[in-house]
Amino acid sequence: MNRYLKEKLFLILMKISLYLFLFMVASLFFSIFFKGISYLSFEMVFSKPKKGFYLGGGGGILPSIFGSLVLAFFSTLLAFLVSLPMTIFLNLYSKRKFSNFIRNFIDLLWGIPSIVYGIFGFFIMVYIGLKSSLLAGIITLSFVIFPLILRSLDELLQNIPFTLKEASLSLGLNKFQMGIKVFLKAIAPGVLSSILISFGRAIGDSASILFTAGFSDNFPTSLFSPVSSLPLVVFYLYSSPDKEVSGRAYAASIILIIISILISLISRRIGKRIYGK
Amino acid sequence: MENEHIRIKNFSVWYGNEKALNNINLTIPNNAITVILGPSGCGKSTLLKSLNRLLDEVDDVRVEGEILVDGKNIYDKDVNVPALRKKMGLLLQKPQVLPFSIYKNVIFGPKINGIKDKKILKEICFKYLNMAHLWDEVSLKLNEPAHKLSIGQQQRLCLARGLAVEPEILLCDEPTSALDPISSKKVEETLLELKKNYTIILVTHILRQARRLADYIAFFYLGELVEFAQSKDFFENPRDERTKAYIKGDIS
Repeated sequence: MNRYLKEKLFLILMKISLYLFLFMVASLFFSIFFKGISYLSFEMVFSKPKKGFYLGGGGGILPSIFGSLVLAFFSTLLAFLVSLPMTIFLNLYSKRKFSNFIRNFIDLLWGIPSIVYGIFGFFIMVYIGLKSSLLAGIITLSFVIFPLILRSLDELLQNIPFTLKEASLSLGLNKFQMGIKVFLKAIAPGVLSSILISFGRAIGDSASILFTAGFSDNFPTSLFSPVSSLPLVVFYLYSSPDKEVSGRAYAASIILIIISILISLISRRIGKRIYGK
Repeated sequence: MENEHIRIKNFSVWYGNEKALNNINLTIPNNAITVILGPSGCGKSTLLKSLNRLLDEVDDVRVEGEILVDGKNIYDKDVNVPALRKKMGLLLQKPQVLPFSIYKNVIFGPKINGIKDKKILKEICFKYLNMAHLWDEVSLKLNEPAHKLSIGQQQRLCLARGLAVEPEILLCDEPTSALDPISSKKVEETLLELKKNYTIILVTHILRQARRLADYIAFFYLGELVEFAQSKDFFENPRDERTKAYIKGDIS
């Protein structure tokens, strides 16, 4: 086969994969949208479930939307607060061999499926006597987010040019000042987008909170009350044999998708604003 | 020559098993420009980084011997490294601005070192931007991000930033190699003005630049100090064969 034909063939293959991708995206959005749109209503989004909501009763899923946002927000925050000092240590203080050794474990955590974090979180809850609750959900979900944020912060810091280090140190900064005042500023756009990506991941994860966050028709009143979440609502609604009820699962999915789209739009906006300057 | 800022004694550096600097002995004259001259890979930059201990940040590096700065060996255990670095402004090959505004770049060092008064900081900003011949070009856009400046302007900003921490010594690592001719000229002129008050060490491999700027020249070849002389002597009566070859352009 000559070179020209080879290129042509591969070009066709590339285009096929592109079209497959587009078809997948479109079919996903349209199928969810058309199946769910008729069940989506003001009441669905902005009210609490009434009695028997999961059996076809009235009401909505506002507490689950709220619960998902709160779970995602605080678990991301928690994971970020733990990741930051650790990655600064790995990149500024520890010897490279040691840092690379530790990075293996980050990759290891990265590969663990979230259901495993779910049962691990449950095990800890039982051990310390914590019931299924907002707090337990936040902590378990932060396990899932932790390697994600850790790795992206680590990569951002690793990519800082050596000359920035030289320039900062030559002004008489110590490493801590350099890390906090210069490096964090330099990687701020990247940090922000990694936080938002993690938030998106957290809001969609269901396995980790399946046992740990509990489920409820009400808003959580404290860290120790159970909280419902969108992915689990989808799961419970869709499990129903009643067509009317399982249709609502699609409506809840639409809400979940819209939140994800909003997050990615916001992150692009902010990224552009910071980079554009 | 008793109160020289910098005296290098029997100083060697290894990267892993590779010897980068071999038993260097050199005293840098105060308030003059000493050019460290030599082809790439001869250890010029290593020497410069040894002086402010940026070498610490390189993995697997080992040093032997002493570098005395104001009489104290900077490789002693009890040395305050940030304070040492504050004594030495650094100008890199490619200007590296901090991810802040122009104003904040200049006042960042002084601010970290404890100056909080906004009025004083503004004066500092004016003084050193002026000294680096940049003030006129940026006075109306001090709050814009520094990376928007041209490379030549960035290098002068880096100079102003370095000067603002009030060092006694300036270390310059081929500071004009990334710049356009006009900016290079401005930087060179600034350095010539500054040598009255600063001890300047400039690394370069450009002979003509050495001719223009140097009061003294230390010629390095393959990790060794081959020859140290006043600039005039160096070019007119080079003693070592390697120096002669380098000046003629036979080795580069």
